[in-house]
Amino acid sequence: MKRMMFSIASLADLGQEVSSSKELTDKMRSALYVVTGMFSVPSASLYAYEAPKKCLKLLAHKGHKDAIKQVSRLTIRADQVGKFRINEPHTIRELSLSDFYEQNSSVFASLQARIFLPLFVKDEFVGALALGKKIGKTPFRPSDKDVLRVVAHQLAITLHNARLFRDLAKKAAENKRLYENMRRIYHDTIQAFAAAIDAKDEYTKDHSYRVASYAVAIARELGWKKNDVEGIYVAGLLHDIGKIIIDRDIINKGEALTGPEVREIKKHPQISYDILSKIKFPWKNVEMFVLHHHERVDGKGYPDSLSATELSEGVRILALADAFDAMTTDRPYRNRMGLDEAFREVLKCSGTQFDEHITKTFFNLLLRELSGEVHDLQILPLLPHLTESISAN
Amino acid sequence: MSNFSLSLKDAQDVAIMSPTGYINDLGAERLELTSEQYLGRGLRKIVINFSHVQFINTLGVSIFTGIVQKTIDYEGQLCFTNMKKIHRDIFETVGLIEHVRVFKDEKDALSYLSDRD
Repeated sequence: MKRMMFSIASLADLGQEVSSSKELTDKMRSALYVVTGMFSVPSASLYAYEAPKKCLKLLAHKGHKDAIKQVSRLTIRADQVGKFRINEPHTIRELSLSDFYEQNSSVFASLQARIFLPLFVKDEFVGALALGKKIGKTPFRPSDKDVLRVVAHQLAITLHNARLFRDLAKKAAENKRLYENMRRIYHDTIQAFAAAIDAKDEYTKDHSYRVASYAVAIARELGWKKNDVEGIYVAGLLHDIGKIIIDRDIINKGEALTGPEVREIKKHPQISYDILSKIKFPWKNVEMFVLHHHERVDGKGYPDSLSATELSEGVRILALADAFDAMTTDRPYRNRMGLDEAFREVLKCSGTQFDEHITKTFFNLLLRELSGEVHDLQILPLLPHLTESISAN
Repeated sequence: MSNFSLSLKDAQDVAIMSPTGYINDLGAERLELTSEQYLGRGLRKIVINFSHVQFINTLGVSIFTGIVQKTIDYEGQLCFTNMKKIHRDIFETVGLIEHVRVFKDEKDALSYLSDRD
């Protein structure tokens, strides 16, 4: 009676160990200790089946500290697995007649095993338990075999679940890798598009890159989430994609544009939108930021003359970033402004063309970079021609 | 975290180990490792005082099984003292008690061991 009560308590202890949140190796080691305690067996080993490697690999052991190398692996073929009785304890005497035992005889000698317990979930072989002799060489009782069947089920399910979890984690890692690759290809393609846009206009080399970078600096300053910052970066790179189909002579014209030419060039946000709206971006609103990057807070922008309340923060950021780069770089019809002049121009247009809060945010960051307060510079490296003269003065 | 601690003292040629708390997880393996170290260093008499042991489960039994086996391997002598009835019952059930000497307290165990040189 006492023995039966102890077995029940032991199975409860085993259940607790196999359902714990411990890492697999610790969990299986604790479970193995419980099993050795159940039967007063000083040594035992628990193996996980690795079908591709045709072996049983040591997962946990007790009492084999001096012989780990010798007991670390048992070789096994699929046809040998098929000869095991599912979750039934096999005595070593029974097993010794098999070629599985024969080919692993030296391992079994090191294990000094008395019982070999193959572990199955339904008919899937997942591992095995090798139990040594009981203390004082007491033989295993018939009732021990009943308890071992229950033990086999518990250990098998735990091993099976761990394997499923491991496979899932592997798949998740593989998916993540594929996603990263795809993302890289996506970015490379977008960069190539941006280069194609800028190549069309000899004066605006790298304009798209700088607009994207200014927009990122402002968005970060405003506390945007990483994915949204990435979205506005892409919008910055592609905001002028519509210029690809505008006549090169109009884009590079060195004098004032005629009315029809202005109308033509004003088409580019809509064309950009038409191109980009065909793409399903993994970022929100890219095509909308692009469509409205020439809108103004006073409602006098194009193409839709939106009012301030209709402009998203992303549009306001992109509008300022685009205009600031236009001011600080040479154009066919005028030379670039100095930094002071560009500051004054933006401030003059703040509240009409540009959003006041965005302007303030951008200038605060720029001033902090100029004063050396910020070490991770985002804006100044884009203005080397302007900041050189500042440092010279 | 393991609710287990171990205090050790040597009385001439006897190692006295006093575990405290729960012997129910791998943290208590220290008891087995320490016994092995004593035996490996040539000490052959070990006393385990159970007065501060609150709980032993099957994993704990495994640890004592290891200690008993190593004491047999090294031809040492293992004494248990200050055991509660519940702990003694467990060791009787699993058959470990046959391989150890049980005493009321450390004094009795040391007296027995001093006569066994």
